[in-house]
Amino acid sequence: MRLGTVIGRVTLSRTVPSLIGARWLIISPFTRGHFQQGSDAPRGLSKDPSLVVYDDLGGGVGQTIGFVEGREAACPFDQPTPVDAINGALVDHVFYNPFNK
Amino acid sequence: MFLARVEGNLTATRKHPSLEGWRLIICQPINQAGEPEGVPQVAIDPHGAGMHERVIISSDGMAARKAVGDEKSPARWMITAIVDETEAP
Repeated sequence: MRLGTVIGRVTLSRTVPSLIGARWLIISPFTRGHFQQGSDAPRGLSKDPSLVVYDDLGGGVGQTIGFVEGREAACPFDQPTPVDAINGALVDHVFYNPFNK
Repeated sequence: MFLARVEGNLTATRKHPSLEGWRLIICQPINQAGEPEGVPQVAIDPHGAGMHERVIISSDGMAARKAVGDEKSPARWMITAIVDETEAP
C-alpha cells in the first residue's frame, strides 16, 4: 500500500460490465518528501505520475488514502475485473518519524 | 522482498474489512548502507516491529491474503521478518 492525496474524481460513461457503478479517484502519490513535510503543511503535487484508483470506501478530494497497486487490487472482486489500483484505507492520521543516522 | 526501515505507522478507521485489527506500518526501503531508497510502503505487521527497526518486507499478495485470512483482501505488502544484522562484503 502507498499513500496519496485525492486530487480529483473520474466518471465513466461506457465501461466493461464488471466496472459499472464504480467510483474512481485521481491520486497524487506521496514521495518520501511528502512524508517528511508532516500533516500540517499543504500537500503539493507529487513528481510521480498521478493515477486513477478504484474506490469503494468513499474517499473525497483533499483526503489522504492508502491505495494498493498490482494484481492484489483485483482480489476483492467476485468476477475477473480489470483493476490494478484500489483504495484500501481512508487514512485518519499518519505518524512519521524519519530515521537519521 | 526489500530491506526496509520502520519509520512510522498510520491509523485508518475506514478500510478494507480484512485489514481490521492489523498494524499498518510505514516502511522505507533502504540500501546496504542504510540510506533510504525509493518510496515508503505501508505494510501489515504480524510480528510487532519497533520504530526504526530494520525489517524485510515482501510484496507477495498470496502470503498477505493467507496472513489476514481473507481470500478477497487487497493486502500486498507484509513485514515477513525483523532483521538482527546484515553482512555485506
